[in-house]
Order: sequence, then C-alpha cells, then structure tokens
Amino acid sequence: MMTDTPAHPGLISLQGIGKRYQLAGQELTILNDVCLSIASGDSCGILGASGSGKSTLLNILGLLDLPNCGQYRFAGHDIFSASPDELAAIRNQQIGFVFQSFNLLPRLSALDNVALPLSYRGVSRHESVEQALRMLEQVGLAERAHHRPADLSGGQRQRVAIARALVGKPSVILADEPTGNLDSTTAQEIMDLLLGLNREQQVTLIIVTHDPHIAERLERKILVRNGVVHEAGRL
Amino acid sequence: MSLRVEQSLSQLLHEAFVSLRTLGKRSVLALLGIVIGSSSVVALINIGHNAAVDAAMIFKDMGTDTLVAQFPPKGNSSAPMRASLDLEAVRASVPGIAHIGALSVFGGPIVFHGRTANANLVGTTADIKDAMRLVVRDGRFLSPFDASETYAVIGDQLAQALGMPGDPLKPGDRIRINDYLFLVVGILHNQARAMLMPVQANESLFIPAEGMRRIYPTPQIGNVIIRATPGQDMERIARDASSALKRQLTDHDVDIQVPQQMIDGMTRQSRTFAYLLLALGAISLVGGGVGVMNVMLMNVSERRREIGIRMALGARQRDIRNLFLLEAVTLTAVGALCGAVLGMSAAWLYAWLSGWTFALAAAALPLGVGSTLLVGLFFGIYPAVSASRLQPVEALRDE
Repeated sequence: MMTDTPAHPGLISLQGIGKRYQLAGQELTILNDVCLSIASGDSCGILGASGSGKSTLLNILGLLDLPNCGQYRFAGHDIFSASPDELAAIRNQQIGFVFQSFNLLPRLSALDNVALPLSYRGVSRHESVEQALRMLEQVGLAERAHHRPADLSGGQRQRVAIARALVGKPSVILADEPTGNLDSTTAQEIMDLLLGLNREQQVTLIIVTHDPHIAERLERKILVRNGVVHEAGRL
Repeated sequence: MSLRVEQSLSQLLHEAFVSLRTLGKRSVLALLGIVIGSSSVVALINIGHNAAVDAAMIFKDMGTDTLVAQFPPKGNSSAPMRASLDLEAVRASVPGIAHIGALSVFGGPIVFHGRTANANLVGTTADIKDAMRLVVRDGRFLSPFDASETYAVIGDQLAQALGMPGDPLKPGDRIRINDYLFLVVGILHNQARAMLMPVQANESLFIPAEGMRRIYPTPQIGNVIIRATPGQDMERIARDASSALKRQLTDHDVDIQVPQQMIDGMTRQSRTFAYLLLALGAISLVGGGVGVMNVMLMNVSERRREIGIRMALGARQRDIRNLFLLEAVTLTAVGALCGAVLGMSAAWLYAWLSGWTFALAAAALPLGVGSTLLVGLFFGIYPAVSASRLQPVEALRDE
C-alpha cells in the first residue's frame, strides 16, 4: 500500500515547525523554524549531538508528538487537522518504526510482534500471521518465529523489529539509532538490510544517528544543532 | 487509504489469550476477591432458592385449599371444649365447603400381640379422610355407619411399629386400647408430613368420634379441618366458617389459619433473606472489583512502554482501551467461572447438610456471572481509559 499523493512534491514537508516544552515554569525551545522536505525513496540521516532536538524531530516526523506551530503535511494529510485516530492510522499504514532499544513486546513471540501492526488495520489473525512469517523469512529469522525476544540476540531482535516495521508495507521507515545497541559487525548487517530495502523497495529511510560512518552511507545528511536544522551537501 | 479500521475478532481473542497466559501472581490475588464475590452471589441465590423450595414443599402436601380451625378459650375461661360440633350446620351455612371433619386427639398406648406403641388416638368422622387427604392402603376407612362400632383405621408407621416380620398388622386384627379391643378395618398409606396439620396421620389411630368416651372420659374437639371445593376464596370461607362455628360455642373462640397467608408470609421472609444475602455478595464483589482496578492500574503503569510501542505501531486510543478492558474482563471472567463452580458446590454442600433436595436456581448462574463481569467492566474502565489517554511520546519515554 503505497501513498496516493501525487500532488505534493515531497512525501514529507515541514514548514516553520517549532516545538516548545513547558518545564518547571520555564519555556524550553527544542525546535525552531524547521523547514524540511523529504521525497519518496530518499535516504536521510538526521545527525546531531544529544540534546540537539533530533529525537524530538524524529518524534514529530513519526507523528508521535505534535509540533506547536508550523505546517506539516505527511503523504497529503495535514497533520494539524488530523484526529488522533487518523494519526494512528497514518502511523499504522505509512510509517515503520525501528528503535534503538528494539522495543519488542516481551510477552509476545517474534512472530506475534511482527504481526502486531496488522492487527490494528483489521487483518484477521490467520492472514496477519502468514504475512508476518513471510516478513521474518525476508530478514532471515523464519526459524526463530516462535522465540520470545528475550531468547534472541541483539541483532536478531533488531531484525525482528525491522520485520515489524516493514510488515505493513510503509512508505517511510523511521529509525532511531538502529545500530546503537549492536556490535559493529551486526550493525553493518542491519545497515545493509535497511539500505537494501531503500534501494530495492523504494522505502523512504530516515535514520537518526550520531555515527558518521552510518551517515556516510545515506544520500542526505540533516544536521540538527540547538533546535535548528541544516542540510549538508547532497552526495 | 482507509483511516477507519476495526481490530478483527480473531485478533482480539488472541490478545486476550496472551494476556491470560501471562497473568502474574498479583492477578491471582485480585482474582481471589472476585472468586469470593462471585461464588457468594451464586451460592447465596441458590441457597435462598432451595430454602424457599423446601418451605413450599412443607405446604404442598397439605394444599392451599385446606383450613385448620383451632378453638382457644375465651379470656380466662377454663371451661372444657365441646365433645361434638354440628358440622353439617356449618357445611350448610358456608357455601364452598367440600369436606369437613373434627378431630379430638388423645395420646395413649396401643397393644397388639403383646407389643405396645404410643399413638395419637384421633376421634373423628368419615369425612376427615378427604379433608386430610388420607389414602387407604389396605381395607377401608371409617364410614358414617361405624359410629357405635369399635372400629379403627391405623396409620402406616404405627402399623409397622406394631407389626413384626411374619406377624404384620392386617385389617381384621384386633388391637387393645386400655380395656377395649378395636377391630382394625383399614391401614393408611404412608403420608408425607404436613406441617400445618395438628396430627400426623402416620402416627395416628382413627376411631369414630362417638366412641372416644370409651377410652377417655372427657373428649374435647381440638381442631376442625375444612377442605374447600376448587377455586374458592379461602379467606371468605375462613371468615364464614369462623362465624358459623362461633355460633355453636360459648366459651371458646375460633381461630382459622389460611395456608396461603402463611405461604405468602414465608415467601416474603425468604425473599428478605435472599436480598440480605445478595447484598453481602454484592459487597464482596465490589471489594473484588477494587482489587481488579488496583491490578489493572499497576498493569497500565508497568506497561507504559508497551502502550507507547503499540501506539507507534498504529493502535488508536480505543484499541488501547479495549486491550486493557478486555484484560480486566478476562480476569474477572476467570474469577466468575471459578466463583460459579465454587458457589454451586457450596450451595450443594449446604443443601446436602440441611437435608434439602438440591435445586438449581435459574437466576443464580446468569446473575452471579453477569454481575461479576459487570463489576470487572466497571472497575476496568478507569485504568483502560487512563491508558488510552497517554500520549505516544510520553508513553515511549524511558522512566
């Protein structure tokens, strides 16, 4: 299920996005006048020091957090006028999340973890399990389908998380330090997997990272510094 | 792209199964409260029902068409009650009387072939057979032509007590009361105890009223039994019969009990009892419900991250709410089922210990299980709604 928004140049378009927090009576500006446009099929790295606001930017991009001001269109939907249910549906159908700490549900098997997003779009249990199994095969973990996350290695868990992000055929994958908890060999494998998906299936890839080696492999580099966004020269 | 989707039933059932499988020890403790509440509701409803059934059984043998008249003395009068009443006059003046008979009861020993048994010696008339619903097993009952005869009809248990294997008491045998020999003309069928009746037929010997003076110098009428024709207003008959009897009495009053009134009274009483029990069950259910709410609130705060992940994967607020509501209801459903089994066993045990016949109250199971599920739903709503109101980014944030 790909996006149906030919009218807009980019899949994601942010105009003048600002995000402020009220903390202990003091107003903190996290993001200030962010303008960003990401086209379908791009691969972007969001780089920045910790506390620079890059995670907040990712949360806003992933519709987990709402900005205070600006304009945000995602696949043709105006985010400010969407209801929470519509935002949930967009997350479910357009966005796949990959987290640094994997964020698998410990009580569910790998298979059930991968099948979970499908359950929120009305797919029957039988069908969602079939699709999830196919997705696990694709990331090379079919024989571990019935293991709990606790019984899997870090690399395997991240593969399960990627399978879960992909099972809904999203147009964007948002990855927050996807290799942050992995050793360098495994990190390499995970990056190969993500970049392969971007190349072969034209899935838009947005990766938050502070690792310049990872950023090197991506087409675009977006730098966040003190809540302001710059784009480094495109490759 | 459709933005409106519902989770399919198979997915919901799967979620419920997983949460059931992973219920922690704490949930088991919360379950205990629910089990106690649910089982007490089920047991109490059923015990109340069985008590009512048992009470109704007492009156059933007697029928609601029977009246029993007593004759308490007026004021401080110590005059003896009359030895006979003109019952035909009563029958004539009160329409709707099918059978009427008087009883004058005197206790004494009966001897048969050297064996002695104590019995109620009941002086009466032929019509008492139908008024008291007596059934003759062997021989015949007293007839209006037996007034001056020394004939007797004997109750089943009394006959067995006097007889012996190889030497049973049969119609045609003679039994001795004081110095008189009475000829047994009939033996009655075994009769269930009729609580309102002044004498139990099984332990009685019926003889003609006119012959009572042979064994007791001053016989007195103790009761008059009236049986109405079907479909009569029992209270009217009681009133009319009372005034007709009063006309024949000088020193005594007439007190007639209407069985229906007593049944109504007992039903009211057992209903009050049942309400009381129900209230007890409800209180323990509420206690259990608070336990469920506690567990669910803990559950929600422990699984904040999971809520955040599910929201990131596209769960809507109502999906999160349903998830936790379903868990609360599943938890209480398990409790309700255990409670139903436990409550039924308790009710059965209680019935067994009280010597009642166990009857399943139709309302017990649906009411017990249903009210438990409602409690689960009620106390599950707040934790579930508070879980669904979490913002995804806040839920995902590490504590």
